[in-house]
Amino acid sequence: MSILNERIQALLQDSGTAKVLATVDKQGLPHIVSDPSISVNNEGQIIYLELIETSQSNVNLVNSIWFKRKVAIHLSKGEESYQIKGYPAYSVICGPVFEHYYKLSLERNPEFDLSTVWIIEADEITDDTYAARKNKEREKHPLITHLDRLAK
Amino acid sequence: MDKYNDVSPFVIIKSDVTRRSFIYTDRALGALDKSKHQYQQRVLIGSNGGENAAVPVSLLLRDGTSIIGTPSKTAKNPYVVDQIDGKLYLTDQGEIVEEVHYWYKPDYYDKFTSSGTPMWQVASARPQRLDIDPNSHCHFWNKGNGCKFCNINANSTQSEKECNMSKQLTAQDVYETVKEALKQPGAFTNLKMSSGSILSGAEIFDDEVDMYIEMLQAAGDNFKDKKFPSTIVASAFSEKQLARLYENTGLMTYTSDIEIPNEALFAWICKGKHNEVGYAEWKRRIIRAVDIFGAGNVSSGIVGGCEMAQPHGFTNEDDALKAVLEEAEDFASQGVSVVHCVWVPMHGSAFHNQQNPSLEYYVRLAKGLSDLRKKYLLNVDMDNYRKCGNHPDTDLDRGNLD
Repeated sequence: MSILNERIQALLQDSGTAKVLATVDKQGLPHIVSDPSISVNNEGQIIYLELIETSQSNVNLVNSIWFKRKVAIHLSKGEESYQIKGYPAYSVICGPVFEHYYKLSLERNPEFDLSTVWIIEADEITDDTYAARKNKEREKHPLITHLDRLAK
Repeated sequence: MDKYNDVSPFVIIKSDVTRRSFIYTDRALGALDKSKHQYQQRVLIGSNGGENAAVPVSLLLRDGTSIIGTPSKTAKNPYVVDQIDGKLYLTDQGEIVEEVHYWYKPDYYDKFTSSGTPMWQVASARPQRLDIDPNSHCHFWNKGNGCKFCNINANSTQSEKECNMSKQLTAQDVYETVKEALKQPGAFTNLKMSSGSILSGAEIFDDEVDMYIEMLQAAGDNFKDKKFPSTIVASAFSEKQLARLYENTGLMTYTSDIEIPNEALFAWICKGKHNEVGYAEWKRRIIRAVDIFGAGNVSSGIVGGCEMAQPHGFTNEDDALKAVLEEAEDFASQGVSVVHCVWVPMHGSAFHNQQNPSLEYYVRLAKGLSDLRKKYLLNVDMDNYRKCGNHPDTDLDRGNLD
């Protein structure tokens, strides 16, 4: 069952949301791409459409699905900001699901030649806004703050 | 898997499932939807279905790679495909190993050509490749010297008898089927042709080359440009024949299988090829094809593990692997990728009673061949995981960046 709540699913469906995918290669070197087309399917799984078969992201995702390495997705819109971590669960290169997204890609841009539909299952969500992160820190680490913030 | 933790577990699973074979539970067969999934297919080697006509033709794994094989009734320790909680899984001794999916059926499959031939009998469909095998009869068997691991003529004779499937295709049927297949957006990235060897002609294989020219031209009439992503898996043609093929068709890449990369074993297992052409000349012709198609655009398949067939094969896996990889390196250093399938001692072949090597042998073989391509900077886009799907070593290449 998906852990993505309604708000996050709505952000994933919103083309106005900034969406970034972070992966790592075999040596652990990070690589990020910004892609507003990252979305969510009816099962609450994240969809990333890879257009370039030989891209660094695609190779990293291949190694992630093989060796169970997490990837991260960052969403932000206005004041809202979330970080999602999860695993690539399926690399879809053929069949009805692939062809559905292939046609969708062509509608977005007739030059797009879809390589792979990556289906990512989230297993961790973090509220990434400044307020949420600072509140969490104040709760767990009350000694970390500037004293002037506490002055009368 | 712990020992080879830098090798894709999907490659290890695929190799073992192919090596040990698999069967389906009734629940798994019940999940086959004839309107969505492929359950009949034209193949040169293996089985075209026959009495197993309602069995899925192959399996897809979660990472997009394929397991190409048919269930075996005689396998001693097969995996079991079962349906559990609405999903299909490979299981081993009752334990879930990995999720699988059946291959989907392309839109053209249930249509007919103007001559009334079912289009699925003209072209079969791998996940992203259109497969057209215009001639399912190998002339090496006419003299009783077919390759000992192969069942091509037994399979095509049975299919002709049981399914009325013609051994030879017509150019018009090929043209019409390709035309129909291309109407499905996103379905295919490559067109492959293969055939049994045809020895006749002024020079050996001249008639085989003529057949490919005719069939590739028929398929090619459907494309805007003269050249289109395509390959053939064919006999080892002379430079003159290769040039004729390249100049007169849309062909972009070429494969001729050396089968057993060892001269003495080739002479025993592929007796016809050795008698008519010879190992050294077969190999030389494959390497010379690089002059025409370019480095990385020529590959040669081997029947991985068949070098251990008895009584003349290697008896020690280390020795066998060393010999195979040394010969593969000689090919790779001259621009030819060597790719392997997993040897299945199949019904209808002379080796049907043989035993294939260990899983570890196949893992080391796949890694060894993939590492050679990395060393010699050869990409294998022509025969990769999404096109053929029959080579664990090319699946591994996918995890490396150019």
